[in-house]
Amino acid sequence: MKNIIKSPFFKYLTQRLGQFLLVIFVGITVTFIVPRLSPTNPVEQKINQMMVSGANVHPEALQKFREAMTEMYGLEGSNWEQYIAFWKRFLKGDLGPSLSSYPVPVMDLIKKALPWTIGLMMTTTLISWVIGNLLGGLAGYFPDRKWVKWAELGATCVRPIPYYITAFILLIIFCFILPIFPTSGAYARGAVEGFNLKFIGSVLYHTFLPALSLIIVGLGGWLLGMRSLVSNIVADDFVLYAEAGGIDEKIILRKYVIRNALLPQITGLGMSLGAVFSGALITEIVFGIPGLGQLTYKAVISFDYSLIMGVSIFSIVGVSLSVLIVDLLYPLFDPRIRLS
Amino acid sequence: MRQGWFKSLFLTMLTGIILAAPVMAQGDKDTAAVSVDPNKEVYPGVKRGDTLIVEDPSGTLINPDSFNVWNVWAGGNGGVSNGLQQLGMDTLWYLDPDAGIDGPWHNSLAAAPPVYNSDYTQMTVKLKKGIYWSDNVEFTAADVKYTVELLKQTPTLLFGSTFGVFVDKVETPDNYTVVFKLTKPNSRFHRNFTVRWNACWIMPKHVMEKDIKVPNDALAYTFNPPVSLGAYVLKDYDKQGTWTLWEKRKDWNRTTIADFGEPAPPYVMYVDAGPSDKRVITQANHELDMIHSIAPEGIIKLSENEWESNWFNGFPWGHPDPTLVAILPNNAKAPFDNVDVRWALALSLDMKKMALASYKGAVTMSPIHYPPTGGSREWYFDPMQDYLKNFSIDTGKGVIKPYDTTIAQQIADAARKNFGDAVPSDPERIKDVIGQGWWGYNPEAAAALLEKNGFTKKNGKWYKPNGEQFTISLLNWGPGNPVLARLGTMVAELWTNFGIDTTATYSQDNGTQYNLGEYDVNMGWNIETWGGHPDLSYFVDTWHSDFYKGIGEMVNGRNGVRYKSAALDKIVDEINVTEFDSDRNIELGLEFLKLTTKDMPTIPLMSYNVFSSQDNTFWSGYPTFDNPYANPVTNWGNGRYIMTQLKQMMPPTK
Repeated sequence: MKNIIKSPFFKYLTQRLGQFLLVIFVGITVTFIVPRLSPTNPVEQKINQMMVSGANVHPEALQKFREAMTEMYGLEGSNWEQYIAFWKRFLKGDLGPSLSSYPVPVMDLIKKALPWTIGLMMTTTLISWVIGNLLGGLAGYFPDRKWVKWAELGATCVRPIPYYITAFILLIIFCFILPIFPTSGAYARGAVEGFNLKFIGSVLYHTFLPALSLIIVGLGGWLLGMRSLVSNIVADDFVLYAEAGGIDEKIILRKYVIRNALLPQITGLGMSLGAVFSGALITEIVFGIPGLGQLTYKAVISFDYSLIMGVSIFSIVGVSLSVLIVDLLYPLFDPRIRLS
Repeated sequence: MRQGWFKSLFLTMLTGIILAAPVMAQGDKDTAAVSVDPNKEVYPGVKRGDTLIVEDPSGTLINPDSFNVWNVWAGGNGGVSNGLQQLGMDTLWYLDPDAGIDGPWHNSLAAAPPVYNSDYTQMTVKLKKGIYWSDNVEFTAADVKYTVELLKQTPTLLFGSTFGVFVDKVETPDNYTVVFKLTKPNSRFHRNFTVRWNACWIMPKHVMEKDIKVPNDALAYTFNPPVSLGAYVLKDYDKQGTWTLWEKRKDWNRTTIADFGEPAPPYVMYVDAGPSDKRVITQANHELDMIHSIAPEGIIKLSENEWESNWFNGFPWGHPDPTLVAILPNNAKAPFDNVDVRWALALSLDMKKMALASYKGAVTMSPIHYPPTGGSREWYFDPMQDYLKNFSIDTGKGVIKPYDTTIAQQIADAARKNFGDAVPSDPERIKDVIGQGWWGYNPEAAAALLEKNGFTKKNGKWYKPNGEQFTISLLNWGPGNPVLARLGTMVAELWTNFGIDTTATYSQDNGTQYNLGEYDVNMGWNIETWGGHPDLSYFVDTWHSDFYKGIGEMVNGRNGVRYKSAALDKIVDEINVTEFDSDRNIELGLEFLKLTTKDMPTIPLMSYNVFSSQDNTFWSGYPTFDNPYANPVTNWGNGRYIMTQLKQMMPPTK
C-alpha cells in the first residue's frame, strides 16, 4: 500500500484529481455568481417579458405578483444563503426546479435534451476527427499529390465560412432546390419514440443535414491541424533516419509520424468531446433539434438561474472530466510521460 | 508567403460566391423543385390539403407536456401560442385589434357586454347557453367562479394577483349569471376577461377540481390533455416541443366561434419554424401557411410570388400592431426632465432616415402618442391634424410650427427607389400606409431650444449649462430584433451628428434598467392600445402619479419614463369613471394626445410593424388591410376568427 502511495503514478493521479475537483468547484461558483451580478433576475425578466408582450396588469397586482414570485423562487435570502442552499442540494444530486418551467426539475429537462445533443455532437465530433486526421496525415506526408491539394483547398475555403451560413447553404440546397431532406425536427411527426429500426431510421434521416454541417465545419480544422503537425514531423531527424534506413513508407507513416502527430490531436479531441455538453446552439436552432443548446438559450433569455446552473454544471464537468481522462490516458500513448 | 495568403483569400471569396448562389435563389419558386401535394401526410392520417400550418413564435418548447395556460411557465416560457390560446381556450369577450368580423367587440362566452353598478364595485355578466367543453360537459357560471376563486388564492398564476387585489367574492345566482363583487371601484375590470392578445381563460371546473386539491397544486398541474372550450381539440404534440396538432371538434357548433360559421381547416398545426431565413424557405416550399413574423427582406422576397399575401398585399407589407415604437427619455433625470430638451431631441431626428434605416421605408409613422392602427385614424389621427398643423413652439429665437406633412411623401419617394411601383403614389393611400406627417427635421430649432436653456456648443459638441458634455447612453435592441436595433443605431447617429455624443448599447439588463429608471434614453414602447377600441385605459391608468416611482425604485406598470403631470392625472381620473363605450373617451383621448404633444414625454415614432406572410396555395382568405377582420399575427388569441374566414383551395383527392 505504501509503495502505491509513494509511486509517481499515484502522485500524478492525485494531482490530476485535485485539479479536476478544484476546476469544478471554481467553475460552479463562478456560474453561480455571474448571473447574480446582473441587476435583473428571473422575476423581473418574467415581468419584462409580460409587459413587452402587451400584458395589462394593475400596478398593485403587479407588485403582489412580484412579491409572491420572489418568495416562491427562494430569492428572498442573501446570495450567500442561496449559495449554501445550492451546494447542500447539489451534493444530494438535486439541481432544484427550473424557474422558467416551474416546478419541473432541472434534471428532468436536461435528461430529455441530453441524448439529442450527445447523439449529434459526439457522433459528428468523432467522425470529423477521424476523417480529418486521416486526410490531414496523408496530406502532410504526401504533400505533392493532386488530391491533397484539392482537399487542402476545400478545407481552406470552407473553414472561414461562418457556421450559420454553411448550415443555411445546406438547407437551401437540400431542402429547397433539391428538396430531399426535411427542414426541421429530430424525427418524423407522429413517430413513436423507441429503440426500433423505423424510429432510428427517421432520426438518422432528420439529423443527416445538421450532422453533415457539423462534420463539414469540424473536418477542416482537424485536417489542417494534422497536416501541419505531420509536415513538421516528417522533417524531424528520426523520420529522416528511418527513411534512410529503408523502413517501409507505410510503417513510417503509421508508427513514426501519425503516432507522434496524434498526441496534441487527442488532447483536442478530449476537449471537443467535453464541450459536447454545452450543446450546439446554432445547429439546434437552425435545424430544430431539441438539445442542450436550445435549453441553454431558453434558460438565458428567461434568466432561469437553476437551469443555467444545471446546463453549465454538465458542461464544466464534461470538459473537466475529458481533460482528466486524457491526462490519465496520456501515459499510454506517450512513453515519455509514463517514464517521467 | 504573401502570394499564398492572397491566393487563399481569393479562393475563399470565390467559393463563398459560388456557395452563396443558392442563398440568392432563396424564395424564388422557379429555382426550386417544390411539389405541391395535398395528399401528402403531415402526420399519420392527416393530409396537407386538410391542414393549416402556422408558425408558433415561441420556438421549441422545453416543457411541451404542460398545457397549463394559467401558469406563466406553460410550456417552459411561452407555450401558450402553440394553438392553446388561439384554438383551445375561451373567455367572456374578445376585442379585435383591427375591425373584427362583425365589429371589433364579440360577446364570446358572455351573452352581452358587462354591466356595472353605479360606483363600479360590481360587475354582472350574463353567459351564453348551450356552450360545451370538448368532453361533452356544459359550460356554466360555476366554471367562471371556480376560475376566479382558484386564481385568487394563487398569486403566482396569471391573473392571480389581480383577482387577489380586486375580487371580494364571486356569486352565481343561476347557471348563466356571474356577479363579481369587487374590493374597490374598477370600471375596467372586464378587461381581465377581454381578449386583445390574451385574457383570463376559463377553467373546466369538472376536470380541474379532481386534480387540484389545494391551490398550490395548480402550479404543477399540466392540464394535459387540455379539455377544450374552443372549436378545436388537441390531437397530438411533439414531446420534443417543435409542433402541436389540433383537430376540429365534431361539435364545433357548440362553441362560441360558431357565431361566425364553421372553421374551415379540419386540422391546424403550430410549428417551431426556426430562424427568419428558414421560415422563408419553408413557406417557399409551401410547408408553412402562416408566418408570424420575418425580417422585412424576407417578406419583400416572398411577396414576389403570386401565392403570397400579406397585410397590405404590397408595400409596406407589415401589420401595424397596436404598439407604439418610441424613444423613451428618462423624464426624472436631468436634462431629460426639461421639455425643451425633449423637443430638441425630437427635432434633431430625421424621420426619413430612421424609416429607411429600420424598415427600409416600410413604416407606419406616428407623431402622436398613439399607435396608427385599427380605428385610430378615424378616432384620433384625422381629428388631431388641425391641432398638429397649428401647434407651435417658441425656441427662444422665434416661433416655429414643427409638424411636417410632406414627410410621408418623402419616405414614399425614397422607398420607391428600392421597391418601384410597389410603393403607392395615391396621396390617400400614402396617408393610410405611411401616415400623415411627423416632426420636421430642424436642427437649427433644436439648437435654439438647447441654447435657450443654457446649453452651449463648442467644436461641434453640446455642453450642459454646468459645463459637462451632453452625452446620451441609449438602451438599444440586440440581434433578436434587428429592425429596432437598426433604428436605435440611426437615432444614435443622428444625435451624434447633431453634437450630442450618443452610444447605443444592448444588454439583457436593459428592461430592468428601464424599470429602475437607471438610464438616459430607452428605445422601445410604453404605449399599447386595444387597437379596436379608442379607450386609453389599456396603458394610461398606470401613468397616474399614484403609481409614480422615483429613480432606483422598480416601476409597476408602463410609466418607466417617469412622466408626471397634474393634467394627466385629471384625464386618467375621469377615464376611470367614464363608461367604456362612452364617446367621452375619445374626447379624453384627444386631450391626452394634445397634452403629450406639448410635453413630449416620449418621442413617438411608428407602429410596431409585424411582417406576417401567408401562403394562399392550400388556404386563402387571410385578413388584410382591405379586409381587416382580424390580426394576422399568429400568436394573438383572436387568431381563432381567421379559421372561420379561410377557404380550402386544394382539398385532398384521395
